[in-house]
Amino acid sequence: MFQKWIDKSMRKSPWIYHINAGSCNGCDIELVSVLTPRYDAERFGFHLTGTPRQADIVVVSGPITMQSVDRLIRTLAQVPEPKCVVSLGSCPRSGNVFKGSFAIAGPLEKYTHVDVSVGGCTPKPEAIVAGLAKAAEILEEKRREMRKHGGMAPSPAVAAAVEHEERAEFGTGDATAVRQGAEQEADA
Amino acid sequence: MIFPYLGQAIRNLFTKPATEKFPLAEAPAAQPHYRGRIAYDPSVCVNCGMCQKVCAPQAISRDIHPLPNGDQEITLTFDLTSCTFCGTCADFCARHAIHLTEDYMIVGTKPEDFLVSGTFTKKKPPAPKFTPEQIAAMKAAAEAKKKAAAEKAAAETK
Repeated sequence: MFQKWIDKSMRKSPWIYHINAGSCNGCDIELVSVLTPRYDAERFGFHLTGTPRQADIVVVSGPITMQSVDRLIRTLAQVPEPKCVVSLGSCPRSGNVFKGSFAIAGPLEKYTHVDVSVGGCTPKPEAIVAGLAKAAEILEEKRREMRKHGGMAPSPAVAAAVEHEERAEFGTGDATAVRQGAEQEADA
Repeated sequence: MIFPYLGQAIRNLFTKPATEKFPLAEAPAAQPHYRGRIAYDPSVCVNCGMCQKVCAPQAISRDIHPLPNGDQEITLTFDLTSCTFCGTCADFCARHAIHLTEDYMIVGTKPEDFLVSGTFTKKKPPAPKFTPEQIAAMKAAAEAKKKAAAEKAAAETK
């Protein structure tokens, strides 16, 4: 009965959770400026939330450092489906100028499916707004898809979520392997 | 005056909001000399490779594909997900084949959305008219001729 009403409310309030995975702070500043009165993403319902459990859109900035990768995976696993991952700036997709560094465990695609990427170093706030709008559209689509499957995420997403949880619980995921590999290299 | 900002407050009631209309309206233009999406013109490129050398995040890749007639098909690809938009490649380009445009809307869902590439064909250099042996022989002949002329001149003065 209330489904239509709930759908409309969900569409009008995609909440953002921001993960800083070793960013230089440039992208973080621009993301915050998106929420200021000048660009005001809150008129479309984008709201920066403090916990991943209430988030719909996850914005990741930074080149995924060794220190942050475990936390990134654990945080992403806590975001309920359907979720939409947005990479902010050049760093999460490639490592940018930090490419090839011993302290980098990126790119982000190794750990999760990236739905929307906003390029630039740093992106302009308008570009970020456009990216978020696209992410909201994708989120809407995913939600519709999920309803078709009886409230479950389509299989790849479920598999990814389960995998993430396993990684977070047992610490046997890519991140640990990568880190062990790096440590062995350092020892040798 | 008790309310020094009252005038400002009343004026603000009748002014337009400071919020930008985007995305409901068109995106505003960037500042002049903004360094956005790369534009590459392969028709003036000479394949010197300088851009690739100066690119700090290694965003530029070059693919040289030899053709059967001796020409080379050269493709330069700029990966905007690696780019720092520093503009060094454009500064170092001797032929001005690279420009950083003012287009900042670099938003996409696929990696292909972030690639800028261009292809051109580098002609095989024309074969030289004479082989090095022929040139050496011609030089020797010229030398001998000169020597003979000098000897003849010397004999005449005696």
